[in-house]
Amino acid sequence: MNTPAESGASGRLARLCILALIVVTVLSAMAGFLWLPSVQADFAARGLWDSICRAAGVSRDWGSAGGASQAPAVATNVILLPAMVRPAASDVVGRGATLALNCSMCHGAQGMSRSDAPNLAGQYPEVIAKQLNDYKTGKRSNAIMGALAHGLSERQIAELSAYYAALPKARTAPTSYDEALPALVRVGDPMRNIAPCIACHGGVDQKLGAPWLEGMPRHYLSEQLNNFKSGARHNDGEQQMRNMARSMTATEIDQVAVFYSRKSGASPD
Amino acid sequence: MFHAKRLVLAHFWVAFIAFFAAILLGEWQMFMRSPLHAWINNPEHYYRSVTAHGTVMAYVLPTLVAMGFGYAITELTLKRPLIGLRWAWAGFWLVIAGTLMASVTMGVGKASVLYTFYPPMLASAFYYVGIVLVVVGSWIWVALMSINLHRWRRDNRGATVPLAMYGNLAGAYLWAWTSVGAAVEILVLILPASLGLTDTINAGLARVLFSWTLHAIVYFWLMPAYIVFYTMFPAAIGSRLYSDTMGRVAFALFLVFSMPIGIHHLFADPQVGAGFKFMHAAMTAMVSIPTLLTVFTIVASAEIVGRLRGGTGLFGWVRALPWGNPMMLAVTFAFIMLGFGGAGGLINMSYQLNESIHNTQWVTGHFHLIFGGAIVIMYFMAAYELWPNLRNCLPLSPALIKTQLSLWFGGMLILTMPWHLVGLLGAPRRMAYYDYTHPALQSQAITVTISTVGGLILVVAAALFLYILASARRTPAPVPPYAFSRAAHPHARTPAVLNEFRLWIAMMIALTVVNYGYPIYQLAMTPQAYVPVVPIGAR
Repeated sequence: MNTPAESGASGRLARLCILALIVVTVLSAMAGFLWLPSVQADFAARGLWDSICRAAGVSRDWGSAGGASQAPAVATNVILLPAMVRPAASDVVGRGATLALNCSMCHGAQGMSRSDAPNLAGQYPEVIAKQLNDYKTGKRSNAIMGALAHGLSERQIAELSAYYAALPKARTAPTSYDEALPALVRVGDPMRNIAPCIACHGGVDQKLGAPWLEGMPRHYLSEQLNNFKSGARHNDGEQQMRNMARSMTATEIDQVAVFYSRKSGASPD
Repeated sequence: MFHAKRLVLAHFWVAFIAFFAAILLGEWQMFMRSPLHAWINNPEHYYRSVTAHGTVMAYVLPTLVAMGFGYAITELTLKRPLIGLRWAWAGFWLVIAGTLMASVTMGVGKASVLYTFYPPMLASAFYYVGIVLVVVGSWIWVALMSINLHRWRRDNRGATVPLAMYGNLAGAYLWAWTSVGAAVEILVLILPASLGLTDTINAGLARVLFSWTLHAIVYFWLMPAYIVFYTMFPAAIGSRLYSDTMGRVAFALFLVFSMPIGIHHLFADPQVGAGFKFMHAAMTAMVSIPTLLTVFTIVASAEIVGRLRGGTGLFGWVRALPWGNPMMLAVTFAFIMLGFGGAGGLINMSYQLNESIHNTQWVTGHFHLIFGGAIVIMYFMAAYELWPNLRNCLPLSPALIKTQLSLWFGGMLILTMPWHLVGLLGAPRRMAYYDYTHPALQSQAITVTISTVGGLILVVAAALFLYILASARRTPAPVPPYAFSRAAHPHARTPAVLNEFRLWIAMMIALTVVNYGYPIYQLAMTPQAYVPVVPIGAR
């Protein structure tokens, strides 16, 4: 057992430790919240309390710091959620089939296009829903699709998505790993920040909102890539396609378009 | 030892076999992204492997080693049978079940989220449940360590807790508190999203909660190594520990300062305020104090034996040290790696310097040098030292051990020094392939090849480690129980605060509240912080 004298010494040591910790904490807090912000113009611009709040990471006033507040420019109003992928009931699919009669002129009776319009059969539901919403809100522009999507309700968009998702996919051979795939499709180009197509469009992973591409019309694919490249199409939420396409050459765009367009049920190679 | 031998052996064997499997994966990764091999055809396989390598090395290996070592220390230092042997086995099987569950999920490609599993990336729920089981299994160990010490204190009122046990408990309490961050992250944020109950996740909050665990976990890995420094090294080289009190101070300081500093992993994260980043950087600097105290005390302990062996003068005692002793070699190697790694760590924790190496290969080099190097080499020594007791075998071959240690040390330096260099040049970490034909990268290609060779040496060293353990020759004669180091002044009074944990745990929790309270509260109250989840391998 410790003697009273030892207990007293131990108590003093404990108090000293606590005091030292408080001093260290207060000093580092003063440096982090008062001293360092005071030498940064943007922190110190609006007084002491504001600079402390900024150093603490309070987010409320940050948006208006630059002057006139304006809504940030967003590429799309659609937030892609896993809920959009859940299978729909058969009556929803049936109503979608009726609505889809409006679409068959370009996209084919069974969602398989004979023109340069994209095939929709078997397309992922969130892809159709996102594009229709973007046409409706003007985030993606096309004279025909804008007019057609303008009158669609949220419910009708969901029904159309469910219908096309329920149709059998056009592709017979989904892209999978193969040494023979074109380099950009397979491994991308890391030094130009081009990710491989199959990282999102199926093969390695199939990301939410990324369409499957196999069997799409070649002209449609190259046109979209060129539109992303020029910025004419800009409804990719994270700019992911604009960033990929920007540094692709015309030849590379053509190669990728040819690769995906050939992987159709009609000409499997 | 009494009846924990099989328990300790089970922990060590599983830990070291998993370690060997993970090291093979590591070398495969190194080879695949080196210029020696064409670009990997399926990068997903690479990330699957990175996830498995990290999960085993970061969670399974250190947890099992700390648990097994802790049980051994309890029986050896308290000199009585472990209380709660059945619970200990239950904890072990929970860790095994969790490891298998996570491994299968990773193996089928449903969890290629890397071992840091940062949201909004989401793996299959089985992966996270596996991790939770590993952690819950280790919590049983924490409780058992605490109960054993409590009962021993009750039966030995006023006695000083042996230093090894003190360090062991410091590690256990540290782990109990630090694992809370990731546990809350998984249970409150990740699992509901992974099970499909929610479609969005507060990614910023998840990262802050993970940082709560992410840095202090390093000190949980480190504790067994420091216990070896303080309580095995002096005895092994025929010396005494220079200061028992200094060991306690170091363990107590680790308990206080290793916890509330994790935001230095989030210097590039916009959701955390600059003031808190600075505070965490300052507190990170405080952790260098127990490390430097340890280096001083351990070197002083070596100096005792150097002078007893006839060494004189300022440095003459260094030459007189027992250099043929495996432990002497191991601690020297560990200190060299700790020195390089620690110097690199000071750069990582500095708010501004971090900018130049954040998320580069430098970081990988840093933690391989500290953990894979300085710490794991001490795990080897803990196993080597305890093996005669655990297996009732003759002492292991010093020549083989020294070869193994040298291979590990050399391999680790050859692996990590080029990583530091290319990190400074800007090479990002966690890439499945690099375009070495590009003129900007061509000159770095050779460094990656050098690292691959280093990795191969590590594979050989790890295989030799398993061979040395497996080939131990059993002896019918009883092996005396392992004796930990004695202090140079064994009868010195230990201050009461350094014989218990209440004060240090209170300081640890208080500092955590100060350093993490507001960032967590603020992010939890920010609805815009919720973002859609990105399931990996779901389609």
